[in-house]
Amino acid sequence: MSAKITQLSNGVEGVFIKNQRFNTTLISFNFYVPLKKETVADNALLPFIMTSCSKSFPDFSALNFKLAKLYGANLSSSAEKVGDYQLLKIAISVIDDRFSLDNESLCDSAVELLTQLIFEPKVENGAFCEEDLAREKRKAIEHIRGDLAQKRTYAKKRLIEEMYKDEAYGVPKCGTEEQVEKITGESLYAAWVNLLSSAFLRVNVISRAMPQGLFDKISEKFNAIERKDIPDCTKSCPTAPASKVNTVIENMDIAQGKLCMGFSSELYGDDQKTAALTVMCDIFGGGPYSRLFANVREKMSLCYYCASSSVKSKGLITVDSGVEKENATKAEREILNQLDIIKQNLFTDEEFQSSIKSITDSFKSYNDSQGLLDAWYSLKIVKNKLLSPEEASEMISNVTRNDVVYAARGVKLHTVYKLLPGVKEG
Amino acid sequence: MKKQFFEGFGDESYVKAELPSGLQIYIMEKPQYSSSYAIFGTKYGSIDTKFSKDGGEEISVPEGIAHYLEHKLFEGEDGDAFSKYAKTGASANAFTSFDRTCYLFSCSDNFYENLDILLKFVQSPYFTKENVEKEQGIIAQEIRMYDDNPGWCVMFNLLKAMYHNHPVRIDIAGTVESIAQIDSELLYKCYETFYNPSNMFICLVGNIDTDKALRQIENTIIDREKTLITRGEFDEPETIVKPYVEKKFPINTPMFCLGFKQKIASPYRRLKSKICVDLLLQIICGDASPLYARLMNEGLINDDFGSEYFNGNGYAAIIFEGESCDPERVANEIKAEINRLREDGINRKLFSAVKCGMYGDLVRRFNSVENLAMSLTECAMHNYNLFDEIKMLKAVSFDDVMKRFDVFDDENAVLSVIKPLED
Repeated sequence: MSAKITQLSNGVEGVFIKNQRFNTTLISFNFYVPLKKETVADNALLPFIMTSCSKSFPDFSALNFKLAKLYGANLSSSAEKVGDYQLLKIAISVIDDRFSLDNESLCDSAVELLTQLIFEPKVENGAFCEEDLAREKRKAIEHIRGDLAQKRTYAKKRLIEEMYKDEAYGVPKCGTEEQVEKITGESLYAAWVNLLSSAFLRVNVISRAMPQGLFDKISEKFNAIERKDIPDCTKSCPTAPASKVNTVIENMDIAQGKLCMGFSSELYGDDQKTAALTVMCDIFGGGPYSRLFANVREKMSLCYYCASSSVKSKGLITVDSGVEKENATKAEREILNQLDIIKQNLFTDEEFQSSIKSITDSFKSYNDSQGLLDAWYSLKIVKNKLLSPEEASEMISNVTRNDVVYAARGVKLHTVYKLLPGVKEG
Repeated sequence: MKKQFFEGFGDESYVKAELPSGLQIYIMEKPQYSSSYAIFGTKYGSIDTKFSKDGGEEISVPEGIAHYLEHKLFEGEDGDAFSKYAKTGASANAFTSFDRTCYLFSCSDNFYENLDILLKFVQSPYFTKENVEKEQGIIAQEIRMYDDNPGWCVMFNLLKAMYHNHPVRIDIAGTVESIAQIDSELLYKCYETFYNPSNMFICLVGNIDTDKALRQIENTIIDREKTLITRGEFDEPETIVKPYVEKKFPINTPMFCLGFKQKIASPYRRLKSKICVDLLLQIICGDASPLYARLMNEGLINDDFGSEYFNGNGYAAIIFEGESCDPERVANEIKAEINRLREDGINRKLFSAVKCGMYGDLVRRFNSVENLAMSLTECAMHNYNLFDEIKMLKAVSFDDVMKRFDVFDDENAVLSVIKPLED
């Protein structure tokens, strides 16, 4: 698969990923803005309000009707945290013209629709409309409050909040309820203006053929805007080791407890060195062959699930597990013991090889999914160079046992968060 | 071996083969893809709690045993399947639903080696007193994890309030008490009955050579005498158990499921009926419908709102679900809208738009080896042809959809609600 960057305007990149496998074309706009307490909620609301209506489609029913007529074109929006930045995504996926049952060019219509939504939102007198704002704010608040229903997600979110208390990364990806409440039509409009003038933008197109004139059209739109203060979103602040491990225990009326642990590491970023962190984290708690799954879950039956993951931009490793209350302390000890085994180079060659095979095998399948490719090329923001899944796979293959041990030795426990059955205090 | 070739959409095609043992095999080649997806399944799920084999005496087994068997099958006399897959780099998993158990893997490299692991471990049960007992703790923890999941609970409370006797009302994993009754002898009994090739299917999609895969399957499948499975009948009345059920959970926004229990004329699902009901649901409450707009604008639903046609052997229901500050009002609005549309008729423009949308969704399905493999398991379970759905959808008329209002009967509606603790 080939993919290359085209500079479309100041801080605006186009990436065309040519792929003959799919029946659909996917176009995504990926806006990066710095993650800040003051602006997080307004920014996070933008992709949602912008995909619910526009000047030409003043209500969501009309817009959804149009999408259905475009053979179920899939319009999606999200707000995620990527290192110390917010990634605001607006994407459309549409079936290729060759499957259309009439003569309409679906791709042209989808491009037209997407650019309208982004550049011509439904605004009046420098503000988003009150009715749309109220609806989207309510949904955002319900979404934030909904985290409590998913105990695993909730516990992981609480760990990050505790671990990065006074840092940008500790800010919840859509803000807090209070921050959403404060959004006004004017503040949201200001966020939209800022999005177009100051966000770093990468437009991904994954298709058999490049939609004609799309990149030119985007260039033209952005060249007409004064683009300034574009952030360098290739860099995030690494996680500093804790001077003292912070343990937080909360109680809730639940049957099973959750144990989450956050670790700092000495490797961060996205290069050959940090490939070792990926492998180390996978041997620790990736697949069924990992130390945590095979030992803490299977052999010792201490958890129903016990897995680790890494956020390489931050050099962050987390472990999350579902535990019975009486096993929580024992499980915590055993998780640390498994990490020590990797630090002491006592893991088996089989575990090491299994991990390399599993990661490289999964990278090779990225080209079979438009969603995975889009995620890949929007998350890998590397200056002036695109890293393909094949190249990343190659980097993983080059990792040695010594690299893994080196990566593990830099991993230090930072914060422990336990959500245990019991009466909620306060 | 009997072989049939199917085509009917773009340049997509697949082969369906049947071995003399009765095993059904579906293979779809996607030569441009790097990865492949494989499923080895049996028509055996959580609802198969009463059965007889080869005309023998009917037996009842503990709730949750199909799921328990799925867990145990990964363990073989020569080590567990996961450690074998670890050597090849495949990503493997399994699931048990109401009516089936499927073992699957996806991979980019070593497909035939992985297929060998799959075929062999599913055919090699190894249940001992010790390894069966050891699993109880792990599954009990899994059950307890679901106990904390309000989304799971709101659904099973609905099923318990809709069904008197049909085992669709029981949790797929069973209960801590029911799984305590499971031993190796019972597991072997279920295995011998349902894991016979005549009750099983294999679906492969991806970068695969059909002939090579077929030869490998033919050489690896143990030829066994076909079993005759008679599934127990459940005396399930047409009426519901109770119209309202409620539970409290530590959550912020109430959750609901509104179900309409349907009378079952035949245990077999007809594809056309499924398509018509799916279209009707989009017309009633899809995101371009007037009802959806009203509920959304009044703050009564959010993006989690949805509907499904839930059906299988001996059960069928329409289910609406979501989060709402006022579930009772949402339920009443849905019922009123259904009755209004039944009287006034549906909007022809909306009918044509949702039909277009559904066609696009079917086209999109061909993008993913995983979705295709899952769709082929539906073909195996219900004896469909994969391309029939697109053909039938194109032929569905306005009147066909209007006729399907018969699935809604207010008398057989149940509302299940999960409320926040402090309410």
